[in-house]
Amino acid sequence: MNSLFTEISQEIVSGIALGSIYALIALGFILIYKATEVVNFAQGELMMVGAYVNFFLIQSFTSSMGAPTFLTFILGLLGSIIFAVLFGWFLDLIINRPMKDEPVFSIIMATISIGIVLRAIVGLIAGPMSLVPKSPFGGAHIQLSGIIISILDLFIIGAAIALVAVFYYFFNKTRWGLAMQATSEDPIAAELMGVPVNKVYSLVWIFAAIVAAVSGVLLAPRAAILDTNMGFLGLKAFPAAVLGGFGSIPGAIVGGVILGIIETVSMGTLSFHFQWVKEINDIIVWIVLIAVLMIRPTGILGTEEIKKV
Amino acid sequence: MKKFISFNLTASIFFVLGCSGPSGSPGISDNEILIGNVQDLSGPMKELGKLLPSGSNLYLDYVNNNGGVHGRNVRMLVEDAQYNPQKTVAVVKKLIEKEQIFCLYNVIGTSPVEAIRPLLEESGVPLIAPATQSGTMSDMSRPAARYIFHTDTGYDIQAGILTEYVIKLDPNAVIGVIYQDDDYGDNVLKGIEAIEYELNISVQKEAFQRGATEFSGQVMNLMKGGCTHVIIAGIVKEPIIIMKTAEAMGFSPQFLGISPTMDHRVALAAGSAGEGFIAANFAYLWDSDNEIPNLYRELCEKANVPVAMRGMYHYYGFTTAIILVEGLNRAGKNPTRKKLIRGMETFNNWNMAGTQPITYSRNDHAGAESVILVQVKDGVQQTISTWLE
Repeated sequence: MNSLFTEISQEIVSGIALGSIYALIALGFILIYKATEVVNFAQGELMMVGAYVNFFLIQSFTSSMGAPTFLTFILGLLGSIIFAVLFGWFLDLIINRPMKDEPVFSIIMATISIGIVLRAIVGLIAGPMSLVPKSPFGGAHIQLSGIIISILDLFIIGAAIALVAVFYYFFNKTRWGLAMQATSEDPIAAELMGVPVNKVYSLVWIFAAIVAAVSGVLLAPRAAILDTNMGFLGLKAFPAAVLGGFGSIPGAIVGGVILGIIETVSMGTLSFHFQWVKEINDIIVWIVLIAVLMIRPTGILGTEEIKKV
Repeated sequence: MKKFISFNLTASIFFVLGCSGPSGSPGISDNEILIGNVQDLSGPMKELGKLLPSGSNLYLDYVNNNGGVHGRNVRMLVEDAQYNPQKTVAVVKKLIEKEQIFCLYNVIGTSPVEAIRPLLEESGVPLIAPATQSGTMSDMSRPAARYIFHTDTGYDIQAGILTEYVIKLDPNAVIGVIYQDDDYGDNVLKGIEAIEYELNISVQKEAFQRGATEFSGQVMNLMKGGCTHVIIAGIVKEPIIIMKTAEAMGFSPQFLGISPTMDHRVALAAGSAGEGFIAANFAYLWDSDNEIPNLYRELCEKANVPVAMRGMYHYYGFTTAIILVEGLNRAGKNPTRKKLIRGMETFNNWNMAGTQPITYSRNDHAGAESVILVQVKDGVQQTISTWLE
């Protein structure tokens, strides 16, 4: 019994780490959605771009400063964040602003196109070969009552919690956050009330790009190999955002972690004891998603929005 | 009207003659043999799409610079199908009907090749060395099997060889397999199930989805099952993460891998967790001291092939091109597709490609049924066996 408890606990801890990655990507989806009501399907690709930028920055720092140290990784992360700020602003400039008054559907299609274009451009620049990213923590891990967790996973969980907390505070307690919510509700009314709508849009794309870059930097060493397919993980994080409640910032982490745990436990203990679970592993997440949406159509932490017409 | 019909008839005759070479076969002219290759240049396997044709062209250029095949240069057209069966059908149609290729070579992926079987059957175009190690390629009961010449040992056979190798080393071994839940994994499982029956053993089976980055559940199950040996049917990142996860959990079975895991980056990225990892390989190591690997490295140097591109996949393109050229040679001075098929069927334990010995016959197009084992020692891959059947 004790052994079973340890095994399930281990799977839950691993699931939380995996779910935190989903949460980070889902957070990017939600940030843009909260301010613009647009679902950015290029969020996974933004993460992939961030990971590549970080890889090449570390490589260039290493060639000029010698073997990578913790400082090299910190510099790489900072460089990636600076790049993300510029990149987010640029994406707002080329997607959001020209299409601001177009139907949301058109903007969503544009984000899908941007995702494809980004994969192609990164493939052209970086070459077709997959890269081998290094973790700043190597293979370091800690052991608590038989449960093992890598330091990298601890950082991923910490980053997800910290970013969710920061953005939750920002959206609910700061003037800019409230301005973003107002813009989402009614951009014309918000503009008439003095909200600088264009700046709000720029800011939210920049935030989404930063979150994507941080998740890319953390995910790349965990995935062992860096290639342009990394962007497809965005599609796995999307149900996490829906499950948690699309538009709810804490919902990102709730949805991400639930999906991460379901995936790990069903592949692990459940499959070990019940052979039939193996057969439905790839659909189990979707079954849970449908079940939750049937009970709570807005997701676990989502709230129903009523708009005056 | 009569004039119009007459003109059209004449034009059609000229068109047919223009498309067919002196031997009467499409794709053959006085100085050229045109072959078609379908790769993934912009999809999920684009890394291989870059490496395989580059390795093939390295050898084809060498052949062309040395007089070609019976005086004809071999020219390879590469089409992009993004590893997509439907797109593969479309580009193969284009290669056969518009480009008038002589034969197909190295079409990548199990599902894409399965999708073009009806086209091969209809057109009679041979496919040499499909770039997949699925055992279904050499299943002679399937449509168009007589046109397909497989050069790789099937995943099912590899899984059987690895299991048998383990049982010979340790009759009490508890074996587990962790496999990708798709065509590739299915073929591995087929081999595992056959060897379970043959040796009267039971192998623990754990699946993962393509693209997975989290394996702790499966690794824990293998640990719970008391596995002493674990066969990994993944590609590159899966063995790395699986072995690292196992190391962190204090679980240290002997890991073995099906040939796609035989990538030098596994040893590079897995570090201490990957030490001792054994992988099945279809050929001599590209950097080993053998005739064909030596020629490969010499040509890489001459052609300034970037160091990052040299390795098992680039070498795969090179070695399969050797088999293709040998087949074209055996098709004679006036080759036809039928002569190519007959020529291929004369390969008998032919081992001049730097791969496992190749044998074909009218009823057997498997080509190879053996692998060589490679182990990571001090971070470097070393050959540890002869060809195992």
